[in-house]
Amino acid sequence: MKPNFLEVIDINKKFGNINALKNVSLNVSKGEVICIIGPSGCGKSTLLRTVNWLTPPDSGKVILKGEIIGSDTGKMTFEQNRSLNEFRARIGMVFQQFNVWPHLNALENVVRAQIVVRKRMRDEAEKKAIKILNEVGLKDKIDEWPDNLSGGQKQRLAIARSLAMDPILMLLDEPTSALDPELIGEVLSVLRNLVNEGMTMLIVTHELGFASKFGDKIVFMDAGEIIESGPPNTILKSPKTERLKLFLEKLSLTSL
Amino acid sequence: MLEYQIFFDYFPMILLGFWLTLKIVVCAIALGIPLGLILALGRRSNFILISFFATSFIELFRNTPFIIQVFLFYYVLPFYGLRLSAEYVGILALAAFGSAYFAEIIRAGIDAIPKGQLESARAIGMTDWQSMKNIILPQTVSIVLPPLTNQTLTLIKESAILSTITVHELTMTGLMVQGETFRPFEVFIMVALLYWALNETIASIMRRIEKRYSRNRKQNKIVRSNIDIIKSSGFSR
Repeated sequence: MKPNFLEVIDINKKFGNINALKNVSLNVSKGEVICIIGPSGCGKSTLLRTVNWLTPPDSGKVILKGEIIGSDTGKMTFEQNRSLNEFRARIGMVFQQFNVWPHLNALENVVRAQIVVRKRMRDEAEKKAIKILNEVGLKDKIDEWPDNLSGGQKQRLAIARSLAMDPILMLLDEPTSALDPELIGEVLSVLRNLVNEGMTMLIVTHELGFASKFGDKIVFMDAGEIIESGPPNTILKSPKTERLKLFLEKLSLTSL
Repeated sequence: MLEYQIFFDYFPMILLGFWLTLKIVVCAIALGIPLGLILALGRRSNFILISFFATSFIELFRNTPFIIQVFLFYYVLPFYGLRLSAEYVGILALAAFGSAYFAEIIRAGIDAIPKGQLESARAIGMTDWQSMKNIILPQTVSIVLPPLTNQTLTLIKESAILSTITVHELTMTGLMVQGETFRPFEVFIMVALLYWALNETIASIMRRIEKRYSRNRKQNKIVRSNIDIIKSSGFSR
């Protein structure tokens, strides 16, 4: 059997007495788009953050293309620390709060990590940044300060910053949750392009419309566990568990 | 009545003391700010030994009187074979004392940056130091400048204490002239005015720098040929 592209195996994470993740396992093949849904505090963001070890799990393994991310012993050696940074450079991450860098203009936001992490020449990094900013529709914002951008533009800038690193996997943590409703569309259309290009993505989202249209698989989490997962049609149209039914009912009520 | 002759006769001598004060303070700040940065970064290090050492250093120098630190440096160092002139001891003591405060100011500046800034830098593959240098520290500059200025002014005033270990700086010179002339009012007016002039100058320079940092941020340089690409493809600049 072909090994999976990304394997999350038996991840546990506790914050104090709270079990944020309980024996969570997840397999992702290359090019798959996984949408993670669930009530707030269910551990979906934590799951995403353990994949690139931004939140190191208490136990369990994350394996990308056959290699362990971080460490599976709890302690990090110097060598593991270095390879962790290499992994992170290939795993794009997009945050709910954008986290664009306000002291750098739009172009430099996309250029800086290419130079510092990827060791690209400035000239090459700028050419790449210009190309990607163009693709996400920010071509006339190239030397704008992030403070002068709208939420949707900031999020597209954050996505461009990740894409410039040539990621093989994208982690998106509620990319549209902090946006005004009329700005959600522009970010989703950038994500749609990524899906069409065959990018492997894990998306924590409340956009069920997007999830059902572009997700290959929907994962429903509650209280730190994966309750149900499967193709969007089965998950959204015929939920098996009571918890998922309840969650979907609540969502459809709020969207009215 | 003021005896104006004293101003004319002793001003050159007082100025000599002022010159030494200036040299000592400049050296102490040039040492103290980098040391403060190292201590601030050390304090948040993951290595317990480093963070313990940095924290102890900061708390020790923050919570004891400066004059006692000066005495310790001056009288204790020779016991360990380190014989330095009073001026050098003064610089070291002032730098150590200042660095503890500088460190706390820089640490507060780092803490004021939203957590997501460091997370996004780490998530894109930067090491802790790369994140600090490229993302966090540049953002703290405008936050830490006002308190750093404040602390610098304090340091200049504290340097008067070095007169107790025979450093012939401004205050010491004043005391000597006073002993010769028995005209404390004239002498210490001169001394006070010189401290005031130095601090006022530094404060006004820093105010200007602060203003510039908050008003227009530095545009990053773009490689020439890429400006042409940007222009030719119809980007508005």
